[in-house]
Amino acid sequence: MSGGERSRVRVFGLRTRLLFAFLLVAAVSAGTTAALTYREARTAVLKTAQDTAVTSFREQVQLTGFSLPVRGEGLEDVLRDLARKSKPHPWVVFAEYGSLRASSGENPVSTVITPELRSAARANPRGAFERVVKDGVPYLTIAMPTVFKTSPDSVLPSGLVLYAVMRMTDEQITIDALLMAARDGALPGLAVALIPGLLAARSVLRPVRELRQAARSMGSGRLDTRIVVRGSDELADLARTFNESTGQLERSVRELREAEERARRFASDVSHELRTPLAGMLAVTEVLDEDADGLDADTARAVRLVSAETGKLAVLVEDLMEISRFDARAAELNADEVDVAEAIRNTLQNRHWTDDRVRTELPDGIRARLDPRRFDVVIANLVGNALKHGDAPVTVRLRTEAGAPGSPVLLITEVADSGPGLQPAVLPHIFDRFYKADAARTRSAGSGLGLAITLENVKLHGGTIHAGNRPEGGAVFAVEIPLHVEGAGG
Amino acid sequence: MPRVLLIEDDPSVREGVELGLRRRGHEVRAAATGEAGLAAMAEFRPDLLLLDLMLPGMNGVQVCRQVRDHSQLPIIMLTARGDDFDVVIGLEAGADDYIVKPARPEVIEARIRAVLRRIDDSGSGRPAIEVYGELTVDRVGLTVTKAGRRLALAPSELKLLLHLSGAPEQVFSRQQLLEHVWEHTFHADARLVDACVARLRGKIEDEVGSPRYVQTLRGFGYRFGPL
Amino acid sequence: MRRARTRRRAAAVAFAAVVPLLGGCGIQETDAIEAGGPASFQAFFDRNQEILLFFRSPDGGLSPVIRTPPDSSVFDGYVEGAGEENTDDTAEPIPTEKAVLALLGGPAKEDRAAGLSTSLPAALPGGSVKVELLPGGRVATLLPFFLEGLDTTALRQLTCTIAYSQDAEGQVVVELTGQDGVSRSGTCGLAPNSTGSTGNTPEETETRARPTPPATTG
Repeated sequence: MSGGERSRVRVFGLRTRLLFAFLLVAAVSAGTTAALTYREARTAVLKTAQDTAVTSFREQVQLTGFSLPVRGEGLEDVLRDLARKSKPHPWVVFAEYGSLRASSGENPVSTVITPELRSAARANPRGAFERVVKDGVPYLTIAMPTVFKTSPDSVLPSGLVLYAVMRMTDEQITIDALLMAARDGALPGLAVALIPGLLAARSVLRPVRELRQAARSMGSGRLDTRIVVRGSDELADLARTFNESTGQLERSVRELREAEERARRFASDVSHELRTPLAGMLAVTEVLDEDADGLDADTARAVRLVSAETGKLAVLVEDLMEISRFDARAAELNADEVDVAEAIRNTLQNRHWTDDRVRTELPDGIRARLDPRRFDVVIANLVGNALKHGDAPVTVRLRTEAGAPGSPVLLITEVADSGPGLQPAVLPHIFDRFYKADAARTRSAGSGLGLAITLENVKLHGGTIHAGNRPEGGAVFAVEIPLHVEGAGG
Repeated sequence: MPRVLLIEDDPSVREGVELGLRRRGHEVRAAATGEAGLAAMAEFRPDLLLLDLMLPGMNGVQVCRQVRDHSQLPIIMLTARGDDFDVVIGLEAGADDYIVKPARPEVIEARIRAVLRRIDDSGSGRPAIEVYGELTVDRVGLTVTKAGRRLALAPSELKLLLHLSGAPEQVFSRQQLLEHVWEHTFHADARLVDACVARLRGKIEDEVGSPRYVQTLRGFGYRFGPL
Repeated sequence: MRRARTRRRAAAVAFAAVVPLLGGCGIQETDAIEAGGPASFQAFFDRNQEILLFFRSPDGGLSPVIRTPPDSSVFDGYVEGAGEENTDDTAEPIPTEKAVLALLGGPAKEDRAAGLSTSLPAALPGGSVKVELLPGGRVATLLPFFLEGLDTTALRQLTCTIAYSQDAEGQVVVELTGQDGVSRSGTCGLAPNSTGSTGNTPEETETRARPTPPATTG
């Protein structure tokens, strides 16, 4: 598993979102189903009750006789008679005629019947009902305008409107039970949906996790990383594409590496093959030099030229070999603890740079683990380069600098010349191989690899090298090497 | 002038080096293979062996071991590859110094002279024979015995021991030893010192793992004693 | 951030979709909903014995009442034309003139008890009503008072009483002419299916074109 940082459950991670989506879909479908069922059932329950009530009320009224005008006396008896035949639940019957108000109950006028129902019944001689909730109790109120026959084919509104008011308590109980059933059905549905939701999220997330691990593995250089392709869904396609891409990437990288390796080996082989004939040639240059004096002028010049160029060729081949070793990562650091000031002084002394062309500021007592031979190459190359391309005096300055807390102390060696300095265009390429700062200069005494080898040697020490210009003029090269002072270093 | 036996398979190198050294007054015998070189040794009786490491048939390291079996002849390896591995193997096999090809004759000659040079002890005013524990060092006769038994030390080993024991308990850095014993520059290969110390310890110490005579001071170098 | 907002929006949409489906729980109130026709009760109306009079209900509508003329001879003196045919034993309907006169007599005691009233002026003593059948199911009635100044209810009372007196289904066009020569015509339109309209307003047309001679009085 990955680190704690990553394995922490993310609040809005893919898993959460997938779960959320599953739950949402489940909630919507379960809720919709439950709600629709509930609605249908409720409508059915209410419709049955209403239709039964309206129909039976009409039938009862039609079986009753009234005189016109309706008389107040005896009307309540008729209404009570109607109320006794109530169906499906007991109802109270109210009558309104002109200014007459009567009922089968205690109050002649109902408080439940709404003005809307009244006006509907008055405006249109047709039966109507209205559900009213009063004080939490649902009522069904039915308005039944009455007509009478003036002929076998014709009726006339009588002006008498009968109302029935029926409590719907039973229906309410039934409907509440329905609601409970709907809720009890939907909630476990949601809970059950959570399980496939989790499973699906897992099945989606596992390939994603594998993909992430594979991508990270690729990033760390293991190009042979592949993912096991499972199934045939989009994630499997993704995995397959990933595998194909990594395959191509691996091939390309391998080809590149092989090409690079071939080029490197070629350079190494060429310089290697050059060494053996050079060894023979170099061994006899002395003979040529010594005997040249006895030859005629032209032959002597030719012989000396061959001798001198053989020497340069030997240096060039030597530098090429060195670079090849760096490229092949065959260069080893043979570190030893040395007195840095002494090492630099030795370098200058061996190159006979002891006159006032080279000034030094070398504090004593700085000891560092360095490869003496490589450090010698670094200093010699930098000073030689400064003397060759800049102007004397060349200053070699040594100091140490404490870096940020936790990072090692830096050993800083600066080599500054008094020449015109480096062109800004030159700076980015100054450490390139065979880079000639001055295009007009066809060939220098050096191999053209000196600064490149210097850079590689510094890097081998884990250090850095910078080239720049001093504010007061002249180029400066600064080598920074982390100072490893070991208590018991070997 | 020293007599030099050169074992080198490449004709141009062989001829060039032979020519260069002979011009400088050396008596040179050149052989193309290790077998031929070993065969010439008894008859030519060289003062020094210049040995190429890469040889057809018997290679340079094998030749080196075989010479060391019965002789303390100074041996300088010629190596065409700067390959560190070869150098280490050659030094472990008993070579006293090495030269990377291509090299100018003056470089080769300087190295030859350095290996052959005897340590000049005349000014030290020391007694000729000193005893350190079981070791007896004869600075004049240039012999070392341990518990009465004479030790066969290669020239570089002997010079290293003489140098270290000349100033007991003084610490010499590897750079200093390279300069004084091998007459190399300050920045030469410190592994020369390490390989030579390892060979020397194998001959004089009772336990190579915990040396008495040639002790290591980590980070600084080597010293002789204290016993 | 944006994703969180999208999710909130999705949740809101889902919520908005589910809530109306539940539609609240329990029993909800409704509007007044029509449910079938009216109840038709037995009124024991006999056209031959009784007349239908239309009075004004307290809510402004017309209420029919069934009236048995206590003694048809009361109005005999004023009835012309059809008077001879009306005997107690015949199956003939009661003459329209009688019905109109009964209407003009105003609501009876039991009618008033139910809150019924009339918008018509009281019957003038000796006033006569003339009814004339015209071709095409039209009935022309000459009334013993001024039509000018009568309200709609009064006209409808007259129209419906005359229409139902003439026809059991009330499907006649009634022309009213007052003593002032003002003339109105219309139908009753109270029956639920008589006209397409559900309104109780009789169709009325006003014709003042011809100056009507003053009604003859006895």
